[in-house]
Amino acid sequence: MIEDPRLADRQLVARCLGGDRLAERALYDAHVDRVYRLMFRMAGEPDLAADFTQETFIRGFERLSQYRGDSSLGTWLHTIAVSVALNGLRKVKRIRGRTSPIEDSPEIAVQPGGFTADLKARLHAAVDALSEKLRPVFVMHDVEGYTHEEIAGTLGIPVGTSKARLFDARAKLRLALAAFAGDHIA
Amino acid sequence: MNDDEMDELLIQGARDYNEPGSVPRDAMWARIENERHGRATFSAAPRQSPRAWAIGVLAAAMVLGIGIVIGRRLERVSTPQGILVDAAPNRASVEVRPDSVVKAIRNETKNTDSSVRQLNQSRTASTRTDGSADSQNLAYRLVMLRHLAGSEAMITAFRSSARRGEVDAQIGDWSRELLGTTRMLEASPVTQDPTMKRLLEDLDLVLAQIAQYVTNGKHDPDDLDLIEQSIDKRGVITKLRTPLPARMLPAGT
Repeated sequence: MIEDPRLADRQLVARCLGGDRLAERALYDAHVDRVYRLMFRMAGEPDLAADFTQETFIRGFERLSQYRGDSSLGTWLHTIAVSVALNGLRKVKRIRGRTSPIEDSPEIAVQPGGFTADLKARLHAAVDALSEKLRPVFVMHDVEGYTHEEIAGTLGIPVGTSKARLFDARAKLRLALAAFAGDHIA
Repeated sequence: MNDDEMDELLIQGARDYNEPGSVPRDAMWARIENERHGRATFSAAPRQSPRAWAIGVLAAAMVLGIGIVIGRRLERVSTPQGILVDAAPNRASVEVRPDSVVKAIRNETKNTDSSVRQLNQSRTASTRTDGSADSQNLAYRLVMLRHLAGSEAMITAFRSSARRGEVDAQIGDWSRELLGTTRMLEASPVTQDPTMKRLLEDLDLVLAQIAQYVTNGKHDPDDLDLIEQSIDKRGVITKLRTPLPARMLPAGT
């Protein structure tokens, strides 16, 4: 018998709202890996990723009564997670003062035999420098393998917008890598 | 190399972008449990920008004033299930200092959210008698009163900062919290009053717009104009202020 995931979500939520601590832990266990992975991809640091993940679940539990089952519980939690991450990263940037547009990304010196590492370093710096609208879509789709439907549900945007943002993100990354790749990839 | 080949290269190269290690499940869970069951209501909140302090002082005074008026008549209202709703805001927590006033007001709005949640749970669980329904409705009206005061303070703070071209993430968080409370109230007996129902619907729209605006993370005059239009055309600020004393306070207050 196949159980309706939304029904299972609602039942789990109902148990949590009823004060069932085991249900709370079950909810956490069901979603924490995926949330943490995304937070790590967004933050790039284990401490920040853990902070964002914790805050996501704290807020999620606080607002659980507002979950209406319109989307999956996972999508609902991811919406909170992305918001937490973007707000948190904004604060980190303000504190560290490191806003770096793609054009300002450091040039990576090409070492003999080090092409892959250099290209990746350049690419990763370029992903870091994507805007707040483009980076989550690129990271979720091309790095973590989320579908456009999942991304749209998480970010509260139409599927078409998700696709358009991915297109824009890839275009910017291609541009950032073009000179580098043109010289070294035939 | 064409675009498709380049995209393939991008995807391959991005696979180990910020590669996560193992998930510290138990350590994070322990901290979550500690935060949820041990933290003070507002201790983990980010530091409030001093730029909003002047607005905060006015708003705090408003919240306090309303609370004192109510408090003279009714210290606490008890629902039949024994859930207590503070009629007056916690005055001890409101310190009139530049960096703490808005924090204190936001704290009050969080308390309001908790009160609504408790009332909803108690309403769901209860078998109502006329007397219990009356006291429960009164409790709802009191938290509604606090919610409207907090919403006005937040909207005023948002407008002030947005007009200066600032996008304050804390205001975004605050608006989302208020939006959650608004939606709980929209599912409560408060909406039996058509005026309150319309006010909550208008407030829902404006709060959602503000939350989205801040989420976008940049000053956008067009989006800001749309929000201002919503506030002005619907008369949200006026409605937030005018219905309070006559409609919400207990008779004889």
